[in-house]
Amino acid sequence: MVENIVIGIGITAFAGALASVAGAAEDVESDIGSQGDPNSQVQLAPQMGYIHRIFNKAVSGEPPAYGLWVALGAGLAAAFMQVNVNPVLALTLGCAIATLVQGVYATTAYLGRIASLAKFGQPVYIDILKSMTTVTMAHAFIAIFASVTMCYLMNAALGHPFPLALLGLIWGIALGAAGSATGNPYYGKERQYQTQKFGAGVPVAASGNIVRFAEAGERNSLDNGWFTAKLGGPWSGICFGLIVFLELWRTVLFEPFWKGWGAIIVGLILILVFTFIDRYAEVWARETFGPYAKEAAK
Amino acid sequence: MTVTPKPTGGVGMNPMANALSIILVIAILGAAWILFGGYALVFKALVAVILGGVLIGFGVHFVPVGGAPAAMGQAPGIATGVAMLAAGAGLAGLFGGAFAVNSDLGLVTSIVAGGIGGALLMAVTCLFVVLVYTYGMGIPSASGKVKVDPITGDSQAEYKSQGTEGHGLPFSSFVGGVIGGFLGGLGGTLIYYALLKVYEDKLPALLSAPVAGAVLPVAISLAGIFAVGIFLVNAVLAAYNITGTTEGFHDPKFSRFPRAIVAALAASAACGFVAILVAAM
Amino acid sequence: MTVKVEKIEGGTPHDTIMVAGLLASLVCIYLGAALNSMAGTQVFAFFGGLAAVAAIVWGSDTIKGLCSYGIGTGVPSVGMISLGSGVVAFLIATRFSWYYAPIVLVIAAVIIGAIIGYMANDVIMMKIPVMRRAMTEVAVVGGLMLMGFAQMTTGSYALLDLSATKTGPLGLLSAGFAGSFIGAAIIAVAFILGAIAVQHPFNACLGPSWKQDRMIMLAAECGFLSMLPVAFMSIAYLTVPAVVVSIIISAAGWLYTYNQYICLSKRDAAMWLDAKPIKEPEGH
Repeated sequence: MVENIVIGIGITAFAGALASVAGAAEDVESDIGSQGDPNSQVQLAPQMGYIHRIFNKAVSGEPPAYGLWVALGAGLAAAFMQVNVNPVLALTLGCAIATLVQGVYATTAYLGRIASLAKFGQPVYIDILKSMTTVTMAHAFIAIFASVTMCYLMNAALGHPFPLALLGLIWGIALGAAGSATGNPYYGKERQYQTQKFGAGVPVAASGNIVRFAEAGERNSLDNGWFTAKLGGPWSGICFGLIVFLELWRTVLFEPFWKGWGAIIVGLILILVFTFIDRYAEVWARETFGPYAKEAAK
Repeated sequence: MTVTPKPTGGVGMNPMANALSIILVIAILGAAWILFGGYALVFKALVAVILGGVLIGFGVHFVPVGGAPAAMGQAPGIATGVAMLAAGAGLAGLFGGAFAVNSDLGLVTSIVAGGIGGALLMAVTCLFVVLVYTYGMGIPSASGKVKVDPITGDSQAEYKSQGTEGHGLPFSSFVGGVIGGFLGGLGGTLIYYALLKVYEDKLPALLSAPVAGAVLPVAISLAGIFAVGIFLVNAVLAAYNITGTTEGFHDPKFSRFPRAIVAALAASAACGFVAILVAAM
Repeated sequence: MTVKVEKIEGGTPHDTIMVAGLLASLVCIYLGAALNSMAGTQVFAFFGGLAAVAAIVWGSDTIKGLCSYGIGTGVPSVGMISLGSGVVAFLIATRFSWYYAPIVLVIAAVIIGAIIGYMANDVIMMKIPVMRRAMTEVAVVGGLMLMGFAQMTTGSYALLDLSATKTGPLGLLSAGFAGSFIGAAIIAVAFILGAIAVQHPFNACLGPSWKQDRMIMLAAECGFLSMLPVAFMSIAYLTVPAVVVSIIISAAGWLYTYNQYICLSKRDAAMWLDAKPIKEPEGH
């Protein structure tokens, strides 16, 4: 492990910061591309007669997709480092190639899904393809680069036994899971269904009726990215950053105590703290918002 | 011809299939016993892999996942695929567990460390889901499957918005998520530990390594990728069992878990046996 | 409310694609290994990538057949289970010499896939008619993909070669363990590359106007796209001419299939508009 505890803590803090950036970029990228569970509404809308100009990026869910991009970036970086390429250059090159792969997958997903909706008259908007793809690739690069650098630090500086590519796979899947869990409802309910009542879920009858005309004319995915970057993105970042930071912090600081049980006890305490916060938030919501008023029978 | 994508799925268990699966597991265990010297490293490792797979399959049933409706606030749970959310938690747990194994902390400490890692990821994720719902969207959490939360006793029905099946993460779902993450991390690290011990023992001779420690990177990677693979197989089988969405242990679908346990037993036995065979053959 | 998937009949029957994919994949793997060992070079390693492309094409059609029945969890999970069972079969096959290994892979994958298929269909009681066969097929597909990528990256699929890169003229094995295909966990990259590539064609072409030839073209495109980063990663294991050949073939294959895929999408799309407003359908 780390000989110098101060360096260990410093690397932990740096990794946590990188993870926060990665989580935020990941969530905004998946909202610009409309990936994951909210995308089912983008898919459904034409079938209900609502033609739209949203990017339909159906590349599996976010965890496996980000597992791929980050693992690719990490594996390529590892291969380049083996031929004595400078680590910084290797990481950048690896992540750039991974981002290119991500961009191609995004375009094929959009073309495939929209072409398969031809029966409902949904057109393929080439300008959406041209303008959204590069934006989603840019966000993806930030997320991938931050994650791969974080994995490199874990392997090289903190001495984790797993090689870089395997760490990339693991943290890519975790990044996608944490980012999609936190950011998806915010994008799906708040932005896609902006016209529905605030403070309530979307009724089943409104399925497919996503917002297609908004602040600046016809809505496109950049508008969605702009909105989710206000809350969903940063909170996904904090979520993933906390996960990485706390996981590393409790291990680096407390594993030497009581033959490893120090880290376990600290982990338990952290889980209890989060449980209390969760319960507080839940009770606060119930008391502040109150129950839903029963709609008067018409 | 239109086929609606919700499977008919079956309720109940198929006794013949279950019996055949148990016989398969016993046969594989027996083969390991006979071929590799009785109660030795290989047999113990195989039992550990099977146990790890069962823990994973069982743990997935606790994780609250709402799927596509959850992303619209139409159903409670996390808006991600259940197999991959469980994989995220389990693999983060494996990360922590691998650290512990590398520091030679022993079996029990390592797998508990892995379990806590998985539980921590789920706790933070579930917390942030609730925070987004409460402070970001103004929606309280409510379950659609029970009238009263089994742990806190809060009534659920009046906090469910009209036209939905519930939303957010009721407290029981939160606790379920943490338990699911713990079991996933536990199982994943157990599989990793067992396979690592087998590979550390057998690979040096197999790969003609000059010194035993030289093959450690190969052993770690091999054990790691097998742990990921067996984890995913068990998680996906469990996801098929709950047909994609569940609210956690208070969901009626939770009672389906015995089927997933039997499936995990057989699948882990088969994959684990072959994984061990790679080095031990 | 979920997306309705229509089972469209027509197109090439699945059995034809299965046999063609399996044979093409095996032939490519053997060709690569045989040509490399006969010529004493590594230039023919790209055949492994072509084998993976054939496997992906086959796998995408299998997944289409399975998911048309509605499995409830979505398409990506099938990709994961494919590689999860495939990696086990692949690694046991690496213990055998290069002429037996692919056959061992197929046999092992069939056994493991059959067990998993039986679990999914009869123990979990999903009761989907093609479930057992589909699980078996995707296990073989997963194993073949991994073997193809391993061959393309390192020029070999034997455990010893995958665990130890030979560094320098003295061939000091100990220096090479940590950097090998397995030691540096490049196998994890091949794992997830395959998992996404095999489920993407059906997932992306999902919809009422699904057409088989478009999906198959996308499957080939995903295969060649996956070959590109694998070619770049082989820089750590193969000689420079071999890497250059791999990159050229991957790029050429990808450009061709990507272009064809765009043409087919243009053919199938309702409209192909550039910077035009939303056109509401009649009566809305």
